[in-house]
This record gives sequence, structure tokens and C-alpha cells, in this order.
Amino acid sequence: MLDQRHIDAFTDMLGAKGTTIDQEAIYPHVREWRDKFIGKAPILLMPSSTEDVRNIVRYCDEHHIAIVPQGGNTGLVGGGIAGLEGRNEVILSTKRLNKHISVDAEDFSVTVDAGVTVSAIQSAAAEHGLLFPLSLASEGSCTAGGIVSTNAGGVHVIRYGTTRALTLGLEAVLPNGEVFSDLSSLRKDNTGYALNQLLIGAEGTLGVITRITFKLYPAEMQKHTFWLGVNTPQDALSLFSSARTASGDRVSVFEILPHTGLEFVLEHIEGTQNPLDTACNWYVLMEVATSAADKLLTESMDDWVAKAFEQGLIKDGAVAQSETQTSAFWKLRESMSEAQKYVGGSIKHDISVPVSKIPAFIEEATALLAEHFPSCRPTPFGHLGDGNLHFNVMQPEGADKAEYLANWEEMNRLIHDLTIKYGGSISAEHGIGTLKREELARTKSNTALSMMKAIKQAIDPKGIMNPGSLF
Amino acid sequence: MKIMVPVKRVVDYNVKVRVKSDNTGVELANVKMSMNPFDEIAVEEAIRLKEAGKAEEIVVVSVGPKLAQETIRTGLAMGADRGILVEHDGETEPLAVAKTLKAIVTEENPDIVLLGKQAIDGDNNQTGQMLAQLLGWPQGTFASEVAPEDGSLSVTREIDGGLETVKLNLPAVVTTDLRLNEPRYASLPNIMKAKRKPIDMKTPADYGVDMGTRLTVLKVEEPPQREAGIMVESVEDLVSKLKEKGVI
Ligand SMILES: Cc1cc2nc3c(=O)[nH]c(=O)nc-3n(C[C@H](O)[C@H](O)[C@H](O)COP(=O)(O)OP(=O)(O)OC[C@H]3O[C@@H](n4cnc5c(N)ncnc54)[C@H](O)[C@@H]3O)c2cc1C
Repeated sequence: MLDQRHIDAFTDMLGAKGTTIDQEAIYPHVREWRDKFIGKAPILLMPSSTEDVRNIVRYCDEHHIAIVPQGGNTGLVGGGIAGLEGRNEVILSTKRLNKHISVDAEDFSVTVDAGVTVSAIQSAAAEHGLLFPLSLASEGSCTAGGIVSTNAGGVHVIRYGTTRALTLGLEAVLPNGEVFSDLSSLRKDNTGYALNQLLIGAEGTLGVITRITFKLYPAEMQKHTFWLGVNTPQDALSLFSSARTASGDRVSVFEILPHTGLEFVLEHIEGTQNPLDTACNWYVLMEVATSAADKLLTESMDDWVAKAFEQGLIKDGAVAQSETQTSAFWKLRESMSEAQKYVGGSIKHDISVPVSKIPAFIEEATALLAEHFPSCRPTPFGHLGDGNLHFNVMQPEGADKAEYLANWEEMNRLIHDLTIKYGGSISAEHGIGTLKREELARTKSNTALSMMKAIKQAIDPKGIMNPGSLF
Repeated sequence: MKIMVPVKRVVDYNVKVRVKSDNTGVELANVKMSMNPFDEIAVEEAIRLKEAGKAEEIVVVSVGPKLAQETIRTGLAMGADRGILVEHDGETEPLAVAKTLKAIVTEENPDIVLLGKQAIDGDNNQTGQMLAQLLGWPQGTFASEVAPEDGSLSVTREIDGGLETVKLNLPAVVTTDLRLNEPRYASLPNIMKAKRKPIDMKTPADYGVDMGTRLTVLKVEEPPQREAGIMVESVEDLVSKLKEKGVI
């Protein structure tokens, strides 16, 4: 519960549009879209300026009120959900911090308010013939502040990097109510600790991000989208290496899907079909793209295809001839998670290992799973080009869903231990949130953990910023 | 049997077209172009007829810029046999295209000309009908089913409120509707094979056709933006507002 006087203070501060205590209106903000987390909050705060955010945080600092910052609420680790585990927290939603979007075309940069959605940034860039390369299935809802706070990845990381690589500067309100402003778009700046890096991927534990300057790129004027059937992940990896070279390093997407995963999609998602006549063990969705208008890329890729066929690396394949076909290929990839929902219980892992180790990792993990969880159905898919797999494991056919999901933690430990053995990460792009706190504590070195805690202590000594996340 | 499939290179169906700032047309620079979706259906149907042993050869024809070669290649990669490009850079109005196609028909002697009911750029829905008239051939427009019979063609047409089946004597012109089939993907092996299939390069002059335009576009404008709505407080309020506007 929150004292009525606090509720009145927030209402005075933000006006009627800026707060609500209506539980029906709050519910979508405390519910994770898959119902994995359902929290609660006495009040939802919706500031519309940095000044508002500063007033809220100052007040909370003074009165020891815990804040959970929230963007589009599309996060997958419960990091933006208030009131879990009986905590008493207010939600600070950035949904009204969405007015400012300004593109500086010659600087190849865009500055936006934290609540602007990723698709709005993409459209603004496109209007100037530029590209904001971050792209993920949640882009219609997830926000600038959210992607920075989770250092989101998505499908273009191989070519353009993660959100960290795209973030030039930012502005944030620190837990003591001070505004940290480093909104510069400088490409080079070696003046002490790179403080804005601390806030990137901090999952809202070090402050509320209010504005960000991102890097832009020339728009991709030519794009070739391939759907390739391959025998093994090793063949896919060889194709990735040779495509990078052949294209002049213009591979912007390289995703892998297993045949089992595609079958789930074809069975459960309406309007999908395998673009190939032959069923293959694995499929690759690849895009090569360039801002240049010449036909050089087409010619190099033609040669690459011919050679890869000759070498038997590609078993079968199709190239999209129109945007309709491009979207159809993408639908197969983007429906992977949804389709699995209809198949039954799925235990998820978001791991990364060095790119070259992906084939060995898949093989060893699959064998390990067969040994410990007989008849489970590993369905690893995702960003092969970044060494990042969503290693989802489906329940055995006909098994009881709840019974199967009870294995969640045990299976996580098994896969995460193997990941660490491969020099990998137990959370490649979705973050820690509340979901993976224990696994973080279990798998990080003591040195790393105590550095993290020292930083948290230094910037948020009262522990009011998203206290349920990370630790 | 020989089938000729005219195809047009148009702005991709998924592109959000923008009107040029001087209102003379739509922006085509740096815009993704693809085969007209109705033509893709025509190519697919021709290939199915060939696969069913009803046709021997499929010739894909386009009247358009040099880059329309890519569009013809798409047809060849789907499974057509050879292509003809009549190179022309400016506007291609239905009558001029129909005359060009007629000249090609005279040389190629196809049994069926199978083409889209309309191109999604101009939405004219005229070329097939004009061609049939110029050739004096029967036409089956808006086809949702095409079934060859001995020396004739049974075509099911999508008409207002239902279907109509007509029987055409060959040779004939058939235009395709959306539900005729679902076009296939161009597979990599077929794309590679298509590179070796021939495309004849021609000009309108080769066929003695004048491509000069007969229509003048006065102005191209965006459709009107939807106006912002207003919020009303109650049903009474709503009713009085509607009365005020003379709607009720
Ligand atoms: C269908 C789907 C596909 C996805 N695909 C990918 C993918 O390919 N790659 C990937 O990396 N992720 C993916 N995600 C998850 C991804 O993390 C989120 O989509 C996105 O990064 C979160 O943005 P959001 O605005 O929704 O943040 P929220 O979910 O609201 O919040 C996420 C975290 O950031 C914090 N936060 C949010 N805004 C601020 C702010 N202004 N200041 C401080 N802290 C803040 C929150 O406290 C929380 O800890 C996917 C999610 C979905 C639903």
C-alpha cells in the first residue's frame, strides 16, 4: 500500500493525465504478456517531461519509495513488472515521454524521447533515406528507453551491433534526482569513464533514461532475402563465413531454424508454407543488403550461390522475388515462439557462445538433454550469426505441461553450465530481470558480482531503482 | 500448346507509395519494384498447365524499361522457358501495350495469352480486353479457374455476386484474378537455370508500334487524410452533435 499523501503528492505533481490508481488501467502494466509474471502497483506514474521524471525521482528518494521504470512492457525477464515478490513499488511508465524525435541527417544520428517506439524511430529515419537498424519482433511496442536498458539485440546485430553499439549518448535521471546529461552524438570522446555505458543494459537499476541519441546508417536500397535448406549447423556456419566474404561483409541477417521448429509453425500458424519442396534438417534465413544502387552485390551473390550448391552446402533454397515473399519468409522465423506455445510447454534459454562453437554446442546440448530429459524436443533457433541461440526445449509429445515445466530450473542449470563451459553467456540479449537473478549469482565470478554491486551501491545507495532486478 | 504471358514491372505491392512533390505522379526513385502480382498468378497458371502436360512452351513478355529484364527473369526462374523484352522507358498505356502484344502474337502464334486482369500501378484493367479485341479472339476475364478441354478452354470467372463459367475456342485471351492460384517461390536451382534462358531484346519500332501517350495526367494527389475525431461526453451529446452536422 502507498500512503494517500504520496498518491496526492504524485497527482499534484503530474496532474490527472500523469497518474492513475485505477487498477483496471494499471493491470496491463503489471502483467507480462505471456502471463509469466503478474505483479501489482498502487499507482501508475506517466511523466511527460524530464522535469516530471526528476520531480518523481526526487520525491521517491526523499520518501524511500521504490520505482520500476517501464517502457513498452515487452521485456522477457520480468524486469519491468512492479510488485513482484510482495514488493511495494510504483511504476514509472515512459508512455507519455514520446514527443521528441529529431533526425540529423548529416550527422547520421537521431535523438528521441525514451518512450518513442522502435518502429517510430525506424520510420523517422526512413523519411530521411536513413536506417535505424535495430529490428526485433516487438518493435511496434518496445521503446527507445527499453532497448537501451536491456541492450536489445534483434536480427541485425551481425552487421550493425547491439543497441549499445547504436547508442551515442543519453540523458537519465539518477536515483538521487540529478539529471545526468550526455546526449552528445560524438563518435570519439575519451574523457574518463564512459558513464553512459553503465546505463546501457542496466535494466532500470541505475536511473530512468529520458532521452537517447542513436546512430543511423544509409538506408538499404537493395536487399536479397534467401531461404536456404542445409544439412547441419556446421554447413550453415560455413555458409555464413563465405557469404560475409563474398558479399563484401553485407550480410545483415543470418538466422537458423530447425526442421522441427518449422513444422510447428506450418502446423499451427495460418497462412504459412515451406518455401522449399524438399524438407531439410535446418533452414537459414539470410539477408544481404547494401545502400548502393549498382548490381555488384547481385552478381557476387549469384556466384556465391552457385559455388555453395556445388559444394553441397545448400541443399535447396529460394530467393524472395517481392516484398510479399520476403514477409512470408520472415513470418516463418518470427512465428517460432508463438507456434511453440501451441505445441505445449517450452523451457527457454537465451544463450550465446563464440560463433564458431555453435555447431558443437548444439550437438552436445542435444545429447545432454536426451540423457537427462528423455523424449524432450530441443528446438534451438535464432541468431546464428551472433552466436546467439534461443535454445527452447519442447515437452515430450503427450506429456503433462505443468509436470514438464517443473523441470525449468534443473534444465536451465544443465544448459547454462554447458554454456559457461563453452565460454558463453546465460543471457545473450534478454537480460537478467527477476527471472535470472539466481543464475547470474551462480554463474558470474565473485569479482564481477562485487564490482556490479559496488556500482549499484554508489549510484543507488537507497536501492530505490528497480530493486527486484539483477541482484 | 504454347502460352504467352505478358508481365509488368510495378512498384512492389508492399511499398507505401508517395506522391511526388510537384503532383505529376508517384515517386519511383529508389523504390522496390516487383512483378505485378496478377501477372505472377498468370505465370504460375501457365507453369501448372505445362506441368500437367497441357502446354509445351511458355514465353514471358514485357513492355518496359531495361530493368524489366529482372521481372522476366523472375518468370523464367519460376519455370517459364524464354523471354521477350520490348524496351520502352516512358509511360506504357494499355492500348499501346495491347498493340505491341498483338504484333508479338502474330510472330509467336501462342494458343493462349494469359495475363493479369490489371496491373496494380495504374489499375487500368484494359490490356487483356483490348488485346482480345485487336486479335478478334475470345476472352475469359477475371479467371479463378482455367481448365483446358479439347481445342477449347473452360474459364470460371469471378463476377459480381458469383461465378460464371465460359467456354472459349482457342486461341484465346485469359486474364487472371486473385484466387486462381498461389504462385510458387523461385527456387535457387531454377534461378540459376533461368540465367541461361534467353531473353530477346526488342523495341516498339521493331513492331511498328507508336508508344506515344494518348492520356494526359493533370494532377496526382494523396487521398485526403482522415480528420481527427472529437470526444463526446454522453449519448445526448453525441445525438446533438450528429444533428448539428445534419447526419441525422
Ligand atoms: C515478440 C518479442 C520479440 C523479442 N525479440 C527480441 C530480440 O530479438 N532481441 C532482444 O534483445 N529482445 C527481444 N525481445 C525483448 C526485448 O528485451 C524488449 O522487446 C525490449 O528491449 C524492451 O523494451 P520495452 O520498451 O518493452 O521495455 P520494458 O519491457 O518496459 O522494460 C524492460 C527493462 O528496461 C527497463 N526500462 C524500460 N524503460 C526504461 C527507461 N526509460 N529507463 C530505465 N529503465 C527502463 C525496465 O525497468 C525493464 O527492466 C522481444 C520481446 C518480444 C515480446
